[in-house]
Amino acid sequence: MKKNLSFVIALVVTAALAAVPLFVKKDSLLTYLCMILLYVSLASSWNILGGYTGQVNLGHSAFFGLGAIATRLLWFAGWNILLAMLVGGLLAIAFALLIGSPAFKLRGAYFTIGTLALGQILYATVGNLFPQISSMPVQDLISYTLVTRYYLFLAVALITVLAATLVANSRWGLGMMAVREQEDAAESLGVNAFQHKLLALVLSAFLAGLAGGAFAFFQIGYYPQYPFSPIWTLDSTMMAYIGGTGTILGPIIGAIFFVVLKEVLSLNLAEFHPTVFGILFILVVLFLPGGFMGLWKRIKDKQQKKRESMAELSHP
Amino acid sequence: MLLQVEKLNKAFGGLKAVNNVDFSIQSGEIVGLIGPNGSGKTTTLNLLTGFLKPDSGSIMFDGKEIAGSPRCSMCGNGIARTFQLVKPFLNLTAVQNVMIGRTFGKEATMNLKLAEEDSFSILEKVGLRSRAYVLAKDMTLMQRKRLELARALAAKPKLLLLDELMAGLNHAEADEAMETIREIRASGITILIVEHIVKAIMGLSDRIIVLNMGEKVAEGTAQEIMYDPRVIDVYLGKSHA
Ligand SMILES: Nc1ncnc2c1ncn2[C@@H]1O[C@H](COP(=O)(O)OP(=O)(O)OP(=O)(O)O)[C@@H](O)[C@H]1O
Ligand SMILES: [Mg+2]
Repeated sequence: MKKNLSFVIALVVTAALAAVPLFVKKDSLLTYLCMILLYVSLASSWNILGGYTGQVNLGHSAFFGLGAIATRLLWFAGWNILLAMLVGGLLAIAFALLIGSPAFKLRGAYFTIGTLALGQILYATVGNLFPQISSMPVQDLISYTLVTRYYLFLAVALITVLAATLVANSRWGLGMMAVREQEDAAESLGVNAFQHKLLALVLSAFLAGLAGGAFAFFQIGYYPQYPFSPIWTLDSTMMAYIGGTGTILGPIIGAIFFVVLKEVLSLNLAEFHPTVFGILFILVVLFLPGGFMGLWKRIKDKQQKKRESMAELSHP
Repeated sequence: MLLQVEKLNKAFGGLKAVNNVDFSIQSGEIVGLIGPNGSGKTTTLNLLTGFLKPDSGSIMFDGKEIAGSPRCSMCGNGIARTFQLVKPFLNLTAVQNVMIGRTFGKEATMNLKLAEEDSFSILEKVGLRSRAYVLAKDMTLMQRKRLELARALAAKPKLLLLDELMAGLNHAEADEAMETIREIRASGITILIVEHIVKAIMGLSDRIIVLNMGEKVAEGTAQEIMYDPRVIDVYLGKSHA
């Protein structure tokens, strides 16, 4: 019953999102929605490894960047954009497999610091190898339409949320959560922790790679280093925490909240918004464990308890 | 013979935590493993479940050498355990905790619906059916211990290792736990039980193995052990011998 309801709501929201370009004609607003969809993809893909499997990865932008760089090069070389994006996703997977073994030898905070270092190395390397700005060729600029980009971002966001939902509700998802909660106990029950972490990493990387591909198709000119910037990782991580890690809706709510707030802040405070976000993040970690989703659940639990005790009172 | 352990050794630095230990367990037995604090009981269980690699020695289980196998493979071999300090999946519900055993243990099912149904009946067995949707972190220590047992049972082991499952229980609770353990054995599961509660270990075990400072000092039925001067030594000191 509850599952069916969620399914119907998801369909309605998807249909509404698909219809948006029919009604929204303002480019600034459409761009804005593109950013929300991009961040939904990034935060949700981060959440598969960071939220469901408990491995806080601060190198997520590496996958986003690899997807972007491969897609950009192939697309400019004349490839079909979807094919180019697929290769971008596969390149991200290749990198995930390369770093998976050594990275998962590290536990807890060491894993987090290790992934941060890997991300930084890649960021610096790409900056050195590709110092020139990458601009769209004229023929692509002439045929550029924002609506196409919007649909691509929408497709990637839908694929990401769908993949996360399917995994979270599968046997693999159970294993991932077991690894997150108590690795020893998980292994004693037959869960291969390394396999589960690696699968989560590979899926997370692939989806972030696709998001990178969509970005490469969207952004007119940028330094190839830019998508590798740690800012993408930090933003996605914060969104997941603010919305609630280890839930499907958390990163989506976090992304919407974050993009809207960022817009409001940068209009009014310009230079200050990173500081505001830093403070907000600390407040969430300290006072809102589980983010908005956690808060929502606590409220619901309280109401449930109240109802139960009322029922007891009326039927002693 | 279900389990045959020979010349098992494990040292931590200079400390021989398990020193040349031999023992075996037959299918259907309940075997008690006792000894003073630090005598190597938990270390022995850790060696049997792959949480520690033995320095030397052999562990034959169900006709297969398993010494040094990775810990996540032990459950598939047919050995499940509980931990002395319980390790629940805190942010998962009781039924999810148990489902993990059912979907990854021996005879694991890929069918989550079936796993959930089975998990409910296992929770029923340990008296937690009404708590199925409670998060493990909202449970009392006693409930967490029962949950830990349920989770191990869901993994359908041939051999179940229980590390001080009853520590901290009051009389009535311990009696209940003993009854549960008897039922588990009756269902065909062999049990190795580590316990300090004398009444429980004496009442349950067909055979008891006594460890002291990593060495096996005695083995026998409850009666034999109780009057064994070596065991009296271990527990009361030389002067009482
Ligand atoms: N991982 C470890 N590293 C170093 N020393 C250890 C380790 N595990 C156990 N020991 C030591 O090995 C010895 C045996 O410990 P073990 O936990 O097996 O005892 P035990 O019989 O289970 O005791 P208790 O009844 O207190 O649970 C102790 O001296 C302990 O300090
Ligand atoms: Mg112990």
